Amino acid sequence: MSVSAIRRLILVGLLISIGAALSIASPSFLTLDNLMTLLQEASLTGIVAIGFTLVLITAGIDMSIGAVIAITSMVCVNFISYTHLPAYVFIPIALAGGCLIGWVNGFFITYFKLPEFIVTLATRGILAGLALIAAVKDDQGFVKNVFIQDEVFLSFGETVGPVYIVTIVFFVLAFATQLFLKRTRAGTNVYATGANPTASRLSGINTDRTLIGVYMFSGFCAALASIFLSARMMTAMPDFGIGSEMDVIASVVIGGTPFTGGVGDIWGTVIGTLFLALIKNGILKLGLSPYIQPIVIGGIIVVTVIADVWYKGFAEKRATRIARQKQALAKEGV
Amino acid sequence: MSANSPLLLECKGIDKNYNGPMVLANVDFSLKRGEIHSLVGENGAGKSTLIKIITGVTNRNAGSIVFEGQSVPVEHNKIASERLGIAVIYQELSLIHGMSVAQNIFLTKEPLFAGLPIIDINKMNRLAQEMIDKYGFDLRATDIIDKLPIAQRQTVEILKALSNKASLMIMDEPTSSLTSTESAQLFKIIRLLKSEGITVVYISHRMEEVFDLSDRVTVLRDGKLVTVLEKEQISPAEIIRLMIGRALSEDESRHRMVKKEGEVVLEVEHLCCEGKLKDISFKVRQGEVLGFGGLVGSGRTELMRAIYGIDGFDSGRLTYLGKNYVPSVEKSIAGGYGFVPEERRLQGIMGGISIVGNIGVANLDAISNSAGFVSGTKEREKADKAISLLKVKPANPDVLVGNLSGGNQQKVVVGKWLIRDLKLLIVDEPTVGIDIGAKEEMYQTIERLACEGVAVIVVSSDLPELTRLSDRIIVLRKGQIIKEFAEGVVTEEDVLRAASGIVEGGTQ
Repeated sequence: MSVSAIRRLILVGLLISIGAALSIASPSFLTLDNLMTLLQEASLTGIVAIGFTLVLITAGIDMSIGAVIAITSMVCVNFISYTHLPAYVFIPIALAGGCLIGWVNGFFITYFKLPEFIVTLATRGILAGLALIAAVKDDQGFVKNVFIQDEVFLSFGETVGPVYIVTIVFFVLAFATQLFLKRTRAGTNVYATGANPTASRLSGINTDRTLIGVYMFSGFCAALASIFLSARMMTAMPDFGIGSEMDVIASVVIGGTPFTGGVGDIWGTVIGTLFLALIKNGILKLGLSPYIQPIVIGGIIVVTVIADVWYKGFAEKRATRIARQKQALAKEGV
Repeated sequence: MSANSPLLLECKGIDKNYNGPMVLANVDFSLKRGEIHSLVGENGAGKSTLIKIITGVTNRNAGSIVFEGQSVPVEHNKIASERLGIAVIYQELSLIHGMSVAQNIFLTKEPLFAGLPIIDINKMNRLAQEMIDKYGFDLRATDIIDKLPIAQRQTVEILKALSNKASLMIMDEPTSSLTSTESAQLFKIIRLLKSEGITVVYISHRMEEVFDLSDRVTVLRDGKLVTVLEKEQISPAEIIRLMIGRALSEDESRHRMVKKEGEVVLEVEHLCCEGKLKDISFKVRQGEVLGFGGLVGSGRTELMRAIYGIDGFDSGRLTYLGKNYVPSVEKSIAGGYGFVPEERRLQGIMGGISIVGNIGVANLDAISNSAGFVSGTKEREKADKAISLLKVKPANPDVLVGNLSGGNQQKVVVGKWLIRDLKLLIVDEPTVGIDIGAKEEMYQTIERLACEGVAVIVVSSDLPELTRLSDRIIVLRKGQIIKEFAEGVVTEEDVLRAASGIVEGGTQ
């Protein structure tokens, strides 16, 4: 069995055992309501994490995702407050806005050959500021909390049966992205670009186009999550999503996509997202202070990364040993 | 020239200079269909440049290229040349790690389900396996690249080129990191390619290979075409004579080993490191140049890193200047070691920093006071001293080292040790990528240091260099000492034979 398969199995095992432990510890954990809320939480992070996974596979990083969430929610609220355009007009505009931001990121990264981290950190700052400026203000200039009344928009926060729409969208998007990565040429190019950009270019892959596409997708995913978030909260705030990078990065890293590029997939990210949401939900259900959440998440990132590095070293040693034994055997055969 | 002309490629009057001396001057080069054509010449003769021009990695200054009857424009590029059917099998392989053999072969042209943008993985694996079986390679289409040995990765590169319908394959030193069995397999593949009508350009320093394989040989010297040898004219001695421009006299290929009587500076006993080094013992004396030969991957660099203290080892004992010594980089430097690493750009220099800074960083103890503040004047004095000792050009200590030529960069790397109280200098591949003049200076520096009583360890793949410099040569193979040449005359061939595992008639 491959390393990633074992890793995944361990995570699923942990997921089930932690879930079982929580069911015993807290009577309100194993209720349909709580599980659906948990899934809804996971889906919001997860949608962003899907886009982020692709960026990470190309060995890049996107720090602007949180700010994209903020600006997108502000775009929607402004449409709702000042225009009478229906939701099915401005939602596509908001999503296109997310793509545009991603395109800008990708353009600066590829055309000017700037480091991904710096570019996206800069766009993050700019967007976070723009979100505040774009926020609807009252007479004294304070940010006004606009309650969304547009029914089409609000319906994004609804459920189909017991399942939230966002959860359905998350799993559909995950499935489609996984298919894209593993079964299309463009998806293969994403891996190749991350694994070895020089070899990819020599093989005829347009790595710049691949990178720009990946950042656009990341922006799109963040904008999509923003719409579901606003619909659920029935309002939008200019600080929506700011700081959510932490959860997203944690989900992807726990899911087994490393920062080195060329490796990773969406199922890992899905499991990582569920894992993280479970931990967060568990902290609440056990009645612990929500303030310890970031501490726990930070701790989990460190432990995961250490385990990965340790296991990688172990696996490499084992591989060389096996190779040597094989060689020795081959020699005896001669 | 029509498409069915016997010539596949015809280059005429190729000139190239990289804003300086002519690297290629009026070179003609032609290839017949389905021949194995060797391109030989000493380092710096212009082989790589000619290949780069043909493949479009760099542009020519003058001359014409006709490939398959089509004229190739000056503004040529790698992707266009691949489309024409020119493939290069790189030494540093250009495969994508983490992907399977089939994925690598079909990268960017994966078979799709009819009418859908979805890759048909089964079909891709099947097609790849068919190709593999057709050529009789020992591979599976689903193997992940990372798990294959270098020789098999090379095979994947060849398959990738074949799937591109390449009619010309260029192999640059393909056997440099292969074992002799693997090389033999590669030769079989090359002959197979020839029988398929594919033209192979073969570049190698190993004359026997050139002799065995080639239908024709083009000899380059100092950027000029010397001659093209037809099959019946090819002999190793003749090629070497043409490459060097004179026959190699007996004393030039043979070197007498000299026994030095100085005090032992470093003694290594039974050094072992799991998977890398096995029971290595040797001594190096004051004023002695001890050469380490062996093929790439034989453990030479690992040994140097271990005795300098970069990597640990499992067991064994070091005695340095009569005392038991457990190496660590800090202690080694303080104790009088100098280390010139193999990869100059990666490990030797800090390109974005001036000569002063590069020299200063290895001599912080000498240029700073007890509070840890660095004295700019002292730093400069040290740099000036190193520059004048080694004649670094330009002799301006503020120049960024990255802007110097390879030879001068290497001088800076050596220079930072030279100004210390040096007792042992370890030099890994002293002259890779530096020009002939600078090479000679480097040799003189090493010889001078030895005369001054420094113990020098030289690791080199360049056999003439190794035999010329060394007073004694130890040859490693698969992490073990396989042979020591301590006295008498040693020829380059002796060293190569030992390194390849051919010892006294038998193969080991």
